[in-house]
Amino acid sequence: MANEKKKLEFAEGEKINLIDLTCRQVDSIYQHMLSKNKPELMWMFDIQKFQWEEVRDAHRNGKKLVAFGGPVPVELIRAFDCVPFFLDTISTRIASQEELCGRFIDETEKYAPASMCGIDKAQLGCILKGELGVQVDAFVHATVPCDSARIAYPIMERVFNCPCFTFDCPFRHDDKGYRYLAGQFDRFVAFMEELTGLKWDAERYEVFKGLMEESNRAYSALIKIAELRKKKPCPLPGRTLVLNELVACMSGTEACTMMLETQLSMGEMLADMGMSASKCPEERYRVCLMQNMLWSDTGILDWMEKTYGAVTVMDGYGYQDGILYEDLDNWENIKYIGAKKMLHTPMIHGATGPAEYWIRIIDKMYDDYDVNVSIFMGHVGCKHTWASGKIVTDMIQEKYGIPTLYVDVDAIDPRYKSTEELQAQIAEYMESVVGATKF
Amino acid sequence: MSYQKLFDTTISDKTVKAWRDSGKKAVGYVCCHVPEEIFYAADVLPVRLRATGCVDSSDAEAWMSSFSCSFSRSVLQYLLNGTYQLDGLVQTDGCMMAARILDNWEHISNKKSEEQFLHQIGAPRITDEYTIEYYKSELKEFADALGEFSGTKVTDEGLKAAVAKTNEMRSLIAKVYELRRAENPVVTGAEVLSITLAECDTSVDEYIEMLKEFLADAENRKPVEPRVRLMVIGSALDNPDYIQVIEEKGGIVVADDLCFASRAFGGQIEVDDKDVLGSIAKYYLSRHTCPRSLDNRPAMHHEILSKCKEYGVQGVIYQKMQNCECWGGESYYLEPDLRSIGIPMMQLEREEHMANAGQLSIRAEAFIEMLEEK
Repeated sequence: MANEKKKLEFAEGEKINLIDLTCRQVDSIYQHMLSKNKPELMWMFDIQKFQWEEVRDAHRNGKKLVAFGGPVPVELIRAFDCVPFFLDTISTRIASQEELCGRFIDETEKYAPASMCGIDKAQLGCILKGELGVQVDAFVHATVPCDSARIAYPIMERVFNCPCFTFDCPFRHDDKGYRYLAGQFDRFVAFMEELTGLKWDAERYEVFKGLMEESNRAYSALIKIAELRKKKPCPLPGRTLVLNELVACMSGTEACTMMLETQLSMGEMLADMGMSASKCPEERYRVCLMQNMLWSDTGILDWMEKTYGAVTVMDGYGYQDGILYEDLDNWENIKYIGAKKMLHTPMIHGATGPAEYWIRIIDKMYDDYDVNVSIFMGHVGCKHTWASGKIVTDMIQEKYGIPTLYVDVDAIDPRYKSTEELQAQIAEYMESVVGATKF
Repeated sequence: MSYQKLFDTTISDKTVKAWRDSGKKAVGYVCCHVPEEIFYAADVLPVRLRATGCVDSSDAEAWMSSFSCSFSRSVLQYLLNGTYQLDGLVQTDGCMMAARILDNWEHISNKKSEEQFLHQIGAPRITDEYTIEYYKSELKEFADALGEFSGTKVTDEGLKAAVAKTNEMRSLIAKVYELRRAENPVVTGAEVLSITLAECDTSVDEYIEMLKEFLADAENRKPVEPRVRLMVIGSALDNPDYIQVIEEKGGIVVADDLCFASRAFGGQIEVDDKDVLGSIAKYYLSRHTCPRSLDNRPAMHHEILSKCKEYGVQGVIYQKMQNCECWGGESYYLEPDLRSIGIPMMQLEREEHMANAGQLSIRAEAFIEMLEEK
């Protein structure tokens, strides 16, 4: 199979405007899909177009652009009429574009170790090269997810040279931890007031309430989608897991809710008919990826479906704990739930505290989704999950009797491993350990 | 009492064994955000875990993978192979690699049905009144749990007595560092690192006595005539041989910014009688031990620059443990800052075991020659 990783060519010395480039790429795909007259698929592209153009046009629309890293309360940022810009989406967006991704990663590696996480390397490199293409008005970040982010964020703060706010996320994700984090919300509100000149008054709170309601609609749909994926065959393909990650930065927008609700209704329709939108003629295996999504080569999910009928039913990154805002008029309660949501954000929930949190999530996923193929597609930059991998895979072996395939990948940098090499590693496991045969 | 133990960097179980034989507990800890004072107040011997001399961490690698830092792996190896025979392990989330030592050790201990005191302390990554209060509450939980485990409740009086001793220890270490300011110091960098490492598995009383004896005898030591004066900064370094390789090429390490050395002993705890635990929390969270925090970079860099001036440093060696992200990105701002005061910086990658001694030797020699020609 031909390597699907995309290549772009840049002239030497050419300056890139990443946001413009991304908007053009997304629009090009959008127009292509329109021309194919497939309205039933457009929900997948509408959201991406909205996401990137919202960032590009923030200033044109009179809004401040707030870059963020790690879990932050995006609904609060939107309540102050600002556009939240999740910097991780730069990395996940360009992950399949070898030239572009390499350009930024190489830039970061001039100053930071190659072992740093590719998510942080790609976005930091873009910022260091001055090729983001937009001016950010503020930078809000948390002290998680990892040591790599903790290299990147302080450097970004200095490069952005704009107002910055840091949420200190505790190691423990329990009542005490939620209270500690919730206690930082009022200071954040004061920060947003100063940034925007807008008051945190009854009128602003009403806006915030509307955003929380919209966010709840999105997360409710996501919870139902997660529920739907438990069905056999799984009605939705592995690829949609990647799309659903957008909720981290888009919750509170109608576009996000619409994307998830459309996905849900399509999934329900397929389920009712006993059908699946996955690429396989027959679902034979249910796969769980224990760690990050492989953004640098999402085609591998399609390949597993087409080759072995192995459908990725859930992944450790995209798995949601499904926490909704409640008692919306009670600010004290909202701060607590907001903190809880932050600490249960995908990737944060399993990777930033003690290993027992990750074990809990994996155990629940394997149980709920009736997983029978276990793959630790370990992002090499996520070293602290590697460092607890054996604890988790021992649990899977002991409790579920499933041996786990360990395969090292770079979730962002497509240069790390070729598609062919990865396919060979998975094929060997599928055929010799799982006993699978190709269609 | 002889102070020669200060220069023996092999991990000794002598103190631990004697302590445990007397019916008391000895508990290990990783990362210098774990306050020793709480151990002493609970009549528990604190043993700061290090991995000096570990040349094979393959058992631990099976648990932590080759993508983890070799310091963390090697510490786990020493727990696995019985180099450390302790009653428990305490950890902070100093860095994520080190935090996983506790996770793995807990899992392994449970599998072996070994009873261990295991405790995780959350250390904030921002320092202000709010975060210090939270850290204090974490220390309170730890103090209560440890007191229950040892049978000696941690009280303010117990903490104050412990602080008096650790402050004395810090004063004595400050005097050792004073010796390094001399044009021809009577201690080498490797020796100073040995001295600070000796604290890891020695009781504070014994350590204070050894330091006093060493300082009393210091004037009898032969001064070193160095070609250049160096500073070493970076990842957790618990192997004096690493510095010795550099010093054998004619440089002398007169200053450091290392968590097993100066960073672990800086300043003094100022005790507020009304809030003893809060005073300890403030000290441990406010000192700049490593770039694990997100708001301490400018202050850390400023301190490094100040030390360069104080100790007459001509060049800085920035050593990074492979897979240590905490110390991964400091060069971006630090290198130009140092350059602005005319001090070159050399960056080196290393592993816990001295696999690259030859390369280190060549690079150190070239760096020293370059500094001499300046």
